[in-house]
Amino acid sequence: MNCRECVEHLYEFLDRELTPDLEREIRDHLEDCPPCGEQYDFEELFLKFLRARCRTQGAPAELKKRVLRELFGE
Amino acid sequence: MTNAPPPPDLKRESFEREALVHLDVLYRVALRLSGNPSDADDLVQETMLKAYRAWDQYEKGTNAKAWLLTILRHAFINEYRRRTRHPETVDLDKIEPYAVFPEVQDEDPQGAFFDRIVDDQVLRAIDQLPVVFRETLVLSDVEGMSYQEIAGILEIPVGTVKSRLFRARHLLQGKLYDYAVEMGYIKGSPA
Repeated sequence: MNCRECVEHLYEFLDRELTPDLEREIRDHLEDCPPCGEQYDFEELFLKFLRARCRTQGAPAELKKRVLRELFGE
Repeated sequence: MTNAPPPPDLKRESFEREALVHLDVLYRVALRLSGNPSDADDLVQETMLKAYRAWDQYEKGTNAKAWLLTILRHAFINEYRRRTRHPETVDLDKIEPYAVFPEVQDEDPQGAFFDRIVDDQVLRAIDQLPVVFRETLVLSDVEGMSYQEIAGILEIPVGTVKSRLFRARHLLQGKLYDYAVEMGYIKGSPA
Protein backbone atom coordinates (compact mmCIF):
# COMPACT_ATOMS: atom_id res chain seq x y z
CA MET A 1 0.00 0.00 0.00
CA ASN A 2 1.49 3.33 -1.04
CA CYS A 3 0.28 6.86 -0.26
CA ARG A 4 -1.58 7.29 -3.53
CA GLU A 5 -3.55 4.09 -3.02
CA CYS A 6 -4.22 4.99 0.58
CA VAL A 7 -5.63 8.42 -0.29
CA GLU A 8 -7.67 6.89 -3.10
CA HIS A 9 -9.43 4.57 -0.65
CA LEU A 10 -9.59 6.99 2.26
CA TYR A 11 -13.28 7.80 1.91
CA GLU A 12 -14.25 4.16 1.56
CA PHE A 13 -12.22 3.49 4.67
CA LEU A 14 -13.98 6.29 6.56
CA ASP A 15 -17.34 5.08 5.26
CA ARG A 16 -16.54 1.53 6.42
CA GLU A 17 -17.13 0.23 2.92
CA LEU A 18 -13.88 -1.69 2.39
CA THR A 19 -13.22 -5.41 2.57
CA PRO A 20 -11.54 -6.45 5.84
CA ASP A 21 -8.24 -7.09 4.03
CA LEU A 22 -8.05 -3.70 2.38
CA GLU A 23 -9.21 -2.05 5.57
CA ARG A 24 -6.33 -3.63 7.45
CA GLU A 25 -3.84 -2.49 4.79
CA ILE A 26 -5.08 1.08 5.05
CA ARG A 27 -5.01 1.03 8.84
CA ASP A 28 -1.41 -0.24 8.80
CA HIS A 29 -0.39 2.40 6.30
CA LEU A 30 -2.04 5.18 8.31
CA GLU A 31 -0.16 4.11 11.41
CA ASP A 32 3.18 4.23 9.60
CA CYS A 33 2.68 7.35 7.51
CA PRO A 34 2.12 10.66 9.36
CA PRO A 35 1.12 12.72 6.26
CA CYS A 36 -1.59 10.20 5.31
CA GLY A 37 -2.61 10.09 8.96
CA GLU A 38 -3.06 13.86 8.94
CA GLN A 39 -5.14 13.69 5.80
CA TYR A 40 -7.26 10.99 7.39
CA ASP A 41 -7.89 13.24 10.42
CA PHE A 42 -8.78 16.13 8.14
CA GLU A 43 -11.24 14.12 6.04
CA GLU A 44 -12.80 12.56 9.12
CA LEU A 45 -13.29 15.97 10.64
CA PHE A 46 -14.84 17.26 7.41
CA LEU A 47 -17.41 14.45 7.31
CA LYS A 48 -18.33 14.97 10.97
CA PHE A 49 -18.61 18.70 10.37
CA LEU A 50 -20.93 18.14 7.39
CA ARG A 51 -23.22 15.85 9.30
CA ALA A 52 -23.41 18.19 12.27
CA ARG A 53 -24.13 21.24 10.12
CA CYS A 54 -26.79 19.64 7.94
CA ARG A 55 -28.87 17.59 10.31
CA THR A 56 -30.16 20.33 12.55
CA GLN A 57 -33.21 20.87 10.39
CA GLY A 58 -36.28 18.63 10.58
CA ALA A 59 -39.70 18.67 8.97
CA PRO A 60 -41.79 21.69 10.04
CA ALA A 61 -44.62 20.87 12.49
CA GLU A 62 -47.11 22.24 9.99
CA LEU A 63 -46.01 19.74 7.36
CA LYS A 64 -46.45 16.86 9.76
CA LYS A 65 -50.00 18.01 10.50
CA ARG A 66 -50.68 18.41 6.79
CA VAL A 67 -49.48 14.87 6.04
CA LEU A 68 -51.57 13.36 8.85
CA ARG A 69 -54.61 15.35 7.69
CA GLU A 70 -54.16 14.19 4.13
CA LEU A 71 -53.55 10.53 5.03
CA PHE A 72 -56.01 9.98 7.84
CA GLY A 73 -58.35 12.93 7.54
CA GLU A 74 -57.23 14.47 10.82
CA MET B 1 -55.50 -18.41 3.75
CA THR B 2 -55.92 -15.39 1.50
CA ASN B 3 -53.73 -12.35 1.48
CA ALA B 4 -56.44 -9.86 2.35
CA PRO B 5 -55.28 -6.27 2.83
CA PRO B 6 -54.87 -5.49 6.54
CA PRO B 7 -57.65 -3.54 8.26
CA PRO B 8 -57.16 0.24 8.06
CA ASP B 9 -56.11 0.73 11.68
CA LEU B 10 -53.34 -1.87 11.37
CA LYS B 11 -52.20 -0.33 8.13
CA ARG B 12 -52.14 3.06 9.75
CA GLU B 13 -50.32 1.77 12.77
CA SER B 14 -47.54 0.11 10.76
CA PHE B 15 -47.27 3.13 8.47
CA GLU B 16 -46.85 5.44 11.42
CA ARG B 17 -44.28 3.18 13.01
CA GLU B 18 -42.20 2.48 9.91
CA ALA B 19 -42.77 5.36 7.51
CA LEU B 20 -43.85 8.50 9.32
CA VAL B 21 -40.84 8.30 11.61
CA HIS B 22 -38.72 9.20 8.57
CA LEU B 23 -40.45 12.49 7.93
CA ASP B 24 -37.41 14.55 8.98
CA VAL B 25 -35.10 12.61 6.65
CA LEU B 26 -37.53 12.97 3.75
CA TYR B 27 -37.89 16.67 4.39
CA ARG B 28 -34.13 17.31 4.54
CA VAL B 29 -33.53 15.38 1.31
CA ALA B 30 -36.51 17.04 -0.39
CA LEU B 31 -35.25 20.45 0.63
CA ARG B 32 -31.80 19.83 -0.83
CA LEU B 33 -33.23 18.35 -4.03
CA SER B 34 -35.92 20.96 -4.69
CA GLY B 35 -34.05 23.93 -3.28
CA ASN B 36 -36.95 25.59 -1.46
CA PRO B 37 -39.22 24.86 1.52
CA SER B 38 -42.51 25.10 -0.32
CA ASP B 39 -41.55 22.57 -3.01
CA ALA B 40 -40.00 20.37 -0.33
CA ASP B 41 -43.33 20.36 1.55
CA ASP B 42 -45.19 19.32 -1.59
CA LEU B 43 -42.64 16.68 -2.44
CA VAL B 44 -42.83 15.10 1.01
CA GLN B 45 -46.62 15.25 1.02
CA GLU B 46 -46.76 13.56 -2.37
CA THR B 47 -44.24 10.93 -1.29
CA MET B 48 -46.23 10.06 1.82
CA LEU B 49 -49.48 9.79 -0.13
CA LYS B 50 -47.90 7.52 -2.73
CA ALA B 51 -46.21 5.46 -0.03
CA TYR B 52 -49.43 5.00 1.92
CA ARG B 53 -51.27 3.91 -1.20
CA ALA B 54 -48.52 1.42 -2.02
CA TRP B 55 -47.94 0.36 1.60
CA ASP B 56 -49.21 -3.18 1.00
CA GLN B 57 -46.38 -3.67 -1.51
CA TYR B 58 -43.71 -2.69 0.97
CA GLU B 59 -42.24 -5.69 2.76
CA LYS B 60 -42.63 -4.73 6.41
CA GLY B 61 -39.54 -4.58 8.55
CA THR B 62 -37.13 -4.19 5.62
CA ASN B 63 -35.71 -0.76 4.73
CA ALA B 64 -38.56 1.73 4.83
CA LYS B 65 -36.22 4.71 4.71
CA ALA B 66 -34.63 3.60 1.43
CA TRP B 67 -38.04 2.65 0.02
CA LEU B 68 -39.47 6.08 0.85
CA LEU B 69 -36.45 7.90 -0.54
CA THR B 70 -36.79 5.99 -3.81
CA ILE B 71 -40.40 7.16 -4.08
CA LEU B 72 -39.37 10.70 -3.19
CA ARG B 73 -36.66 10.77 -5.81
CA HIS B 74 -38.98 9.49 -8.53
CA ALA B 75 -41.52 12.13 -7.59
CA PHE B 76 -38.81 14.75 -7.75
CA ILE B 77 -37.60 13.64 -11.16
CA ASN B 78 -41.07 13.33 -12.63
CA GLU B 79 -42.69 16.47 -11.44
CA TYR B 80 -40.18 18.87 -10.02
CA ARG B 81 -36.85 18.77 -11.74
CA ARG B 82 -38.05 20.18 -15.02
CA ARG B 83 -40.39 22.65 -13.35
CA THR B 84 -38.18 24.03 -10.63
CA ARG B 85 -34.73 24.01 -12.11
CA HIS B 86 -33.33 24.51 -15.54
CA PRO B 87 -32.07 21.24 -16.95
CA GLU B 88 -28.44 20.94 -16.08
CA THR B 89 -26.09 21.32 -18.96
CA VAL B 90 -22.99 20.75 -16.88
CA ASP B 91 -20.57 18.21 -18.27
CA LEU B 92 -19.80 16.29 -15.11
CA ASP B 93 -16.64 14.77 -16.50
CA LYS B 94 -15.23 18.23 -17.05
CA ILE B 95 -15.62 19.13 -13.40
CA GLU B 96 -12.25 18.47 -11.87
CA PRO B 97 -12.51 18.95 -8.15
CA TYR B 98 -9.23 19.39 -6.36
CA ALA B 99 -8.31 18.11 -2.94
CA VAL B 100 -8.32 20.84 -0.33
CA PHE B 101 -6.08 19.05 2.15
CA PRO B 102 -2.79 19.78 0.31
CA GLU B 103 -3.78 23.47 0.25
CA VAL B 104 -4.29 23.70 4.00
CA GLN B 105 -1.76 21.11 5.08
CA ASP B 106 0.72 23.71 6.34
CA GLU B 107 -1.59 26.41 7.62
CA ASP B 108 -4.50 24.47 9.11
CA PRO B 109 -4.09 20.68 8.83
CA GLN B 110 -6.75 20.21 11.52
CA GLY B 111 -9.33 21.97 9.36
CA ALA B 112 -10.20 24.44 12.15
CA PHE B 113 -11.54 26.84 9.51
CA PHE B 114 -14.53 24.55 8.99
CA ASP B 115 -15.73 25.36 12.49
CA ARG B 116 -16.21 28.99 11.56
CA ILE B 117 -18.52 28.23 8.66
CA VAL B 118 -22.18 28.42 9.72
CA ASP B 119 -24.97 25.97 8.82
CA ASP B 120 -26.60 28.18 6.19
CA GLN B 121 -23.38 28.66 4.31
CA VAL B 122 -22.76 24.91 4.20
CA LEU B 123 -26.28 24.25 2.94
CA ARG B 124 -25.90 26.97 0.31
CA ALA B 125 -22.66 25.38 -0.89
CA ILE B 126 -24.36 21.96 -1.12
CA ASP B 127 -27.21 23.49 -3.11
CA GLN B 128 -24.71 24.75 -5.67
CA LEU B 129 -23.47 21.24 -6.46
CA PRO B 130 -24.76 19.60 -9.66
CA VAL B 131 -27.81 17.54 -8.73
CA VAL B 132 -26.19 14.12 -9.26
CA PHE B 133 -23.42 15.05 -6.83
CA ARG B 134 -25.81 16.73 -4.43
CA GLU B 135 -28.18 13.80 -4.08
CA THR B 136 -25.33 11.33 -3.54
CA LEU B 137 -23.64 13.51 -0.95
CA VAL B 138 -26.86 14.23 0.96
CA LEU B 139 -27.85 10.57 1.16
CA SER B 140 -24.39 9.60 2.34
CA ASP B 141 -23.06 12.43 4.42
CA VAL B 142 -26.22 13.92 5.85
CA GLU B 143 -28.39 10.82 6.17
CA GLY B 144 -25.65 8.23 6.67
CA MET B 145 -26.80 5.69 4.08
CA SER B 146 -24.52 2.94 2.78
CA TYR B 147 -23.15 2.81 -0.78
CA GLN B 148 -25.45 -0.13 -1.44
CA GLU B 149 -28.53 1.72 -0.22
CA ILE B 150 -27.63 4.81 -2.23
CA ALA B 151 -27.02 2.70 -5.34
CA GLY B 152 -30.51 1.25 -4.90
CA ILE B 153 -32.20 4.60 -4.44
CA LEU B 154 -30.38 6.33 -7.30
CA GLU B 155 -30.46 3.25 -9.53
CA ILE B 156 -26.75 3.41 -10.32
CA PRO B 157 -23.87 0.95 -9.72
CA VAL B 158 -22.01 1.06 -6.40
CA GLY B 159 -18.85 2.09 -8.26
CA THR B 160 -20.65 5.17 -9.54
CA VAL B 161 -21.78 6.03 -6.01
CA LYS B 162 -18.15 5.86 -4.93
CA SER B 163 -16.82 8.09 -7.67
CA ARG B 164 -19.65 10.61 -7.36
CA LEU B 165 -19.18 10.79 -3.63
CA PHE B 166 -15.45 11.30 -3.98
CA ARG B 167 -15.94 14.14 -6.43
CA ALA B 168 -18.89 15.65 -4.58
CA ARG B 169 -16.95 15.84 -1.34
CA HIS B 170 -13.93 17.41 -2.97
CA LEU B 171 -16.09 19.85 -4.88
CA LEU B 172 -17.86 20.88 -1.69
CA GLN B 173 -14.60 21.18 0.21
CA GLY B 174 -13.31 23.43 -2.56
CA LYS B 175 -16.36 25.69 -2.30
CA LEU B 176 -16.13 25.91 1.47
CA TYR B 177 -12.40 26.52 1.30
CA ASP B 178 -12.86 29.36 -1.20
CA TYR B 179 -15.52 30.84 1.05
CA ALA B 180 -13.26 30.55 4.11
CA VAL B 181 -10.45 32.31 2.24
CA GLU B 182 -12.83 35.02 1.09
CA MET B 183 -14.04 35.56 4.66
CA GLY B 184 -10.49 35.62 5.97
CA TYR B 185 -10.95 32.49 8.12
CA ILE B 186 -7.86 31.10 6.48
CA LYS B 187 -5.12 32.78 4.47
CA GLY B 188 -4.74 30.26 1.67
CA SER B 189 -5.02 31.14 -1.98
CA PRO B 190 -8.42 30.87 -3.68
CA ALA B 191 -8.46 28.25 -6.39
